[in-house]
Amino acid sequence: MRRVLLGLSLMLSALLGVSSPVAPSRAAAPTLVGKNAPDFVLKSMDGRNLRMSEFRGQVVLVNFWARWAGDSRQEMPALDRINTTYSRAGLVVLGVSVDEDLGRAREFAGAMKVSYPIMFDTGADIGRDYLLQNMPMTILVDRAGVVRYSNVGFKRGDERAYLDHIRELLRE
Amino acid sequence: MNPKYRVVSIIARGALLACGWAAGAALAAATAAAATAATATAATAPAATVTAPAAAEPAAAKAAPDAPAADAAAPDAPPADFKTLDQEVQGLKKDVIDLNKDLFVLEEELLFPANTQVALYVSMDVGAFFALDSVTVKIDNKEVKNYLYTAREADALLKGGVQQIYLGNLKVGKHELVAFFTGKGPAERNYKRGATINFDKGVGAKYLELKITDRVAKHQPEFTIKDWE
Repeated sequence: MRRVLLGLSLMLSALLGVSSPVAPSRAAAPTLVGKNAPDFVLKSMDGRNLRMSEFRGQVVLVNFWARWAGDSRQEMPALDRINTTYSRAGLVVLGVSVDEDLGRAREFAGAMKVSYPIMFDTGADIGRDYLLQNMPMTILVDRAGVVRYSNVGFKRGDERAYLDHIRELLRE
Repeated sequence: MNPKYRVVSIIARGALLACGWAAGAALAAATAAAATAATATAATAPAATVTAPAAAEPAAAKAAPDAPAADAAAPDAPPADFKTLDQEVQGLKKDVIDLNKDLFVLEEELLFPANTQVALYVSMDVGAFFALDSVTVKIDNKEVKNYLYTAREADALLKGGVQQIYLGNLKVGKHELVAFFTGKGPAERNYKRGATINFDKGVGAKYLELKITDRVAKHQPEFTIKDWE
């Protein structure tokens, strides 16, 4: 009887051990990493039209932000510092606002006083192409136009991860 | 040739080539084995002379000249079979490129059949009085295209480039096209102008050109739409 019980318990534990890794887990969010960055053209705050594909050959950091996303307020000054340091080395930082209220987005961007171009997207196409889910979202595109890194949200210390990836991409 | 048949033909030729490569490789292996055997015979010949000098000498003399000849010939001149195969591969590559072109044309014909096709082009001449920012095109009161120009693109137009801004389908009959041009006019003022054309779409493709030119007498830009018959 003991042997039977022992056998049953072993089988049960083995079953649990096997079944736990395949237990339904939260599906990973789709990402663009490893794929070509979708092209877009938007009007920037200074009136210029900027097209993503025209930055081919440079490392591009695209930051999608919204006025209502609290993390954007912390992230934008950090990106401004990165832009100031690495723009001469071949880095391009682009800020894309996804706010529907263009006037208030402009006001917010003006108050942030960042040195990199801020563009405004009031449509839904670019957000859909870039699989935007939460704000802010930052992606890094290499010189060949391939998305190499993606980060959703922003917390202290993320800028260090950005810097590591930027240095790596600039060296390529 | 029909692209479908060309695909089949290319696949068949590819299969034949693969067999050819395999046969070539087998041949090369056999030649190498023969050469190794010949060298081995030459190497073992002195040992054989102890027991049978008369028989071993002719064998060594036969094998020795063959082995270096095979070794010397291998690196310099590839066998004729390989040359033919290489030419075949090059021919196949060319066929694939041609087929790709044919498929592209076929796709264009399917998506935009010539009898319903309408193509719009933008060109710019001089441009001293106008800096192009965007073009919006409406056909029969429906917006079909809104294009923002970067500085580079506008510059390319000024240098004589012609851009295909829209390619679509339209039914045979009368249609109205309205194009809005926005940008900076004389004295850096914001400028927005429209141009309209009523055209008759017959059987066959229709080509329309949105032209931006300078009207020097009035110091103003001019926007026209030309119907290419």
